[in-house]
Amino acid sequence: MKSGVSRRTLLINGVLVGGATFFGPWRHHHVYAQKKDKPILIGLTHDASGQFANSGQDEQRGTIMAIEEANAKGGVLGRKLAYITADTETTPATGSRVAERMITRNEVAFLVGAIQSGVANAIGQVAQKYGCVYFNTNSSSPTESGKDCKRVKFVWDGSGANFALAAADNAVRTFGKRWQLLTNDYVWGHNTSKATREIATRFGAQIVDEILVPVGTRDFSPILLKVQQAKPDVVAAAVGGDDFKVMRQEVVKLGLDQKPAWLNNQQDWPDIYGLGIESVFGVFGTTWYHKLPLPGVTDLVRRYQQRWPDTRIDVPGNVFYNGYMAMWELIRAIERAGSTNNLKVIKALEGHKMSAKDRLQHHDAWIDPETHHVQQTIYLAARNDKPTDPTDYFKIMSWSEPSKVRDVESAKTCKLQSYESTPTYEQ
Amino acid sequence: MTVGDDPRTLAAGWLSPGMLVAFAVFGTLPLWIERVGLYRYLGVEILIWCLFALGFNLLLGYTGLPSFGHGAYFGIGAYAMGLTQFHLVADLWIGLLAAMLAAAVVGGSVALFISHRRGIYFALMTIAFGQMFFFIASKWTSVTGGEDGLLNIARLPARLGVVAFDLTGNLAMSYFVFAVFVMATVLLWRLVHSPFGKVLRAIKQNETRMAYLGYRVYVYKWASFTLSCAVAGLAGGLFAMAQNGAYVQVMSLQWSGVVVLMTLIGGGLVSFWGPVVGTVVYFLARDLLGAYTESWLLWFGLMFMLVVMFKPEGLAGLWQDAVARHAAHRRARAVALQPAASE
Amino acid sequence: MELIGTLGPHLLNGVALGLLFALVALGFMLIIGVMEVINLAHGSLFALGAYVAVALVTPEGGLRLTALAPYFSMPIPGRFVIALLLAPLAVAGVGMLLELCLRRTYGRDPLYGLLLTFGAALVIEELIRLVWGPTERFLPLPTAITGGVTMGGLVYSVYRFFASAFAVGMILLLWLFLQRTRYGALIKAGAHDSEMVRALGVNLTRLRLLVFAFGTGLAAVAGIVMAPIWGVRPHVGVDAVVPAFVIIVLGGVGSFWGAVIAGLLIGMVVGLTGAFATAWSLVSMYVLLVLVVTVRGRGLLGKKSVLER
Repeated sequence: MKSGVSRRTLLINGVLVGGATFFGPWRHHHVYAQKKDKPILIGLTHDASGQFANSGQDEQRGTIMAIEEANAKGGVLGRKLAYITADTETTPATGSRVAERMITRNEVAFLVGAIQSGVANAIGQVAQKYGCVYFNTNSSSPTESGKDCKRVKFVWDGSGANFALAAADNAVRTFGKRWQLLTNDYVWGHNTSKATREIATRFGAQIVDEILVPVGTRDFSPILLKVQQAKPDVVAAAVGGDDFKVMRQEVVKLGLDQKPAWLNNQQDWPDIYGLGIESVFGVFGTTWYHKLPLPGVTDLVRRYQQRWPDTRIDVPGNVFYNGYMAMWELIRAIERAGSTNNLKVIKALEGHKMSAKDRLQHHDAWIDPETHHVQQTIYLAARNDKPTDPTDYFKIMSWSEPSKVRDVESAKTCKLQSYESTPTYEQ
Repeated sequence: MTVGDDPRTLAAGWLSPGMLVAFAVFGTLPLWIERVGLYRYLGVEILIWCLFALGFNLLLGYTGLPSFGHGAYFGIGAYAMGLTQFHLVADLWIGLLAAMLAAAVVGGSVALFISHRRGIYFALMTIAFGQMFFFIASKWTSVTGGEDGLLNIARLPARLGVVAFDLTGNLAMSYFVFAVFVMATVLLWRLVHSPFGKVLRAIKQNETRMAYLGYRVYVYKWASFTLSCAVAGLAGGLFAMAQNGAYVQVMSLQWSGVVVLMTLIGGGLVSFWGPVVGTVVYFLARDLLGAYTESWLLWFGLMFMLVVMFKPEGLAGLWQDAVARHAAHRRARAVALQPAASE
Repeated sequence: MELIGTLGPHLLNGVALGLLFALVALGFMLIIGVMEVINLAHGSLFALGAYVAVALVTPEGGLRLTALAPYFSMPIPGRFVIALLLAPLAVAGVGMLLELCLRRTYGRDPLYGLLLTFGAALVIEELIRLVWGPTERFLPLPTAITGGVTMGGLVYSVYRFFASAFAVGMILLLWLFLQRTRYGALIKAGAHDSEMVRALGVNLTRLRLLVFAFGTGLAAVAGIVMAPIWGVRPHVGVDAVVPAFVIIVLGGVGSFWGAVIAGLLIGMVVGLTGAFATAWSLVSMYVLLVLVVTVRGRGLLGKKSVLER
């Protein structure tokens, strides 16, 4: 009686497995008839889980919508745009791994997307190693355009220093000199607070204390107790993502939002929308708002609502805006450069001016060639006490011209890698 | 069936058939990994974690001590590599040595506290220490970079006398890691088949008996823990080079638990190669399954539960059972084929 | 005097935190005491309790059935109470399933039980991620227990006082249950000598199942109460289970009041370090553990137990 595995079965199985390895779905190298048929693959590195998942998804809506609009117009240089996504989990180690995979396995032409500065940094490092152009769409640590700047990286969000510059002068005069800093314990928090400290003291403020807020803090009671005990005039908070959401709820629930005055650096739209207008407090910055009285704004809002009817964020905000604008500028840069060669695209981006009309902002914007940081209009806002509809959370108080709020300090520490040392990369 | 019951393995020399197969597979890996739809960086990652798991198994599979906080020593090795490069001297060998030493020193200090324990108490204390180091690394931003990690760690060239190998490309890195893997594996193999290794296995079987026999069990357990930490540190240093950075997440409870998962599923409790099998399965699941479904870790976790419930010997255990069955079949058939004793 | 003024509020905060830690540890302690199983899934079940509560209180929390619209129009306090009663029952069901899985590991090296519950923790956390998504959820509270109350010039959170009072209540209830009821006596007897209990004719299998259900239900209750303080996200389980076993080891296995005292101690240490170095306050918990265990191996009030096998 036969039992066990016969030699013939083994042979047949071996052929099947071997054949599958060579001809099966594992092969990712497709042979294209012409280079034109190969789509321009964009690697989207948005956070889908963790602290910034909400913002990550919002930014992805922006980049994907831009890609779809471009494809509807026939693509770029006769090629369609395609994209792949991966969750960077708001974790730098994962960001690094995802970037390696997208570049070496998926052979993406460009990398786009970041919220958390630590992740952006990790991805930027890997991108620079291979020469792949990387768009940091939403991370606003001042060091992104400072000591962590890279030849292949372009930064599209206003930085913590920009917002501090826009707000500090006014705040010292209006509220007082005793300032307390709340700092989220990671790159963006530290560098934003550092910039705030430097800028505020320049305008006459006195920093009485700095409290570190560990990433992932949900229990703000000891911190709020310390704030109350110190009795500052202004609390400048560099706290982001979910941490900020929770802190805001706590502050409003305890009735601490009136005194002291809160300066919240930048307020990302996904973190506040849906919590009700009452949860908006303090003064904060943003790069864009869906009710700006500028031509083209209502059209963008309409297109957003048409394309994304199911999301709970009914109107687009700054995070979506940054992703959308950045992606479109990448597409236009590829057109200008006439190729996807990384050095050509970089040269097409450096110094590039974008009109206020195209940007849907009050002032023209441009890409600083020395830091690769987009200089744009910075808006200051507070809670809207006369909302026109349930989505009208913000009251735009003022807007600053980009050159007035340029982060000179960070620019000094930025040393872009030379063109020669940046590897050539083209997909 | 525990590790090394078969007298053949106890008398093993420096190499074994399993080792040759493993070396053949991993040595040629960079050449065919892209053909099967994967990428070289993944190969580097897998080899480094195999090294980590093999060192970890010295503790779990051979000594019977469960550590749920070993990610901390991996992380310490990674940071040590980076810090040595930035503040002491930018030399590859010194960096790796520093990584091993740092992890061994910290691990050895922890082992002083916990080596009289075993079982669950031991496991809980390793969790506590692991978490402590995780927190310190996350908060000590000036040294470790905190949540954002230590960036710009360079892959320094491997200098051997007059020749220097540039490791910036993934191909060269793969071979370097492979070379380290070979050396470490051979050394570990010799260690577990030495008298020291036999004592460890005896301690796993019955610690009290060993104490009565006059062995200083505390010292052996301490040594086992410290050695496994040194290997973890080495793997961490290599990983810092591979990622060009040292990040804190690997020191978390989650990642410390992952190495337990990998080692157990692969069959570390009964086989030297179990951890390697488990590591490969984990990473393949993450990259292949992960491309199709977000919940691949769910299936992996369920598989782990099933293994613990029904086959704690893991995949290597299944393999050993199959081999034993096959051998038994052959013996049975040989007996059946012999002519009848009396007609 | 001024030091007391600065430290006082933090100490108060710490006591509240300590009571909550003790609440979190209760279910964990019960299971260890009776079944000698270290349930690492305690944290994930804690999180599951919070999530189920979110599903029961908010319409977009998971139960998207339009037929339930009339239920969701009920005022929040009503839904909150229902969640507080039903969610623990649901989680207890999951706990019973886990106990069924654990049966295969009884009699073997207790390490296997630990490993199995570790795997279960992972599986439950991933399930939560699959069903509810990875982003953070919020549990709406009845307005009566939210807001601030001013004492001594500082504003304190009303909810924390409610939560602390709730914790005290649960601790006392549990103690009364163990001391005064027949089932409590059975549980304590089972903890002391399970063989004897079986010899006396009690269905040990059923007892174990019920204890597990009870312990995991307590974990869920803690999860719901802590939800507004610690947040509702898949990973919050780890934040819960680690202090839980620190408390057990610190207080000593098998000691009810040891766990409570340990919880208070840890809470106060964390609260006080919060006054000086907020970022390091959680590490102080581990340092305390190492110190106590080095000095007194069995913890403060512990008895010889499965931990030492």
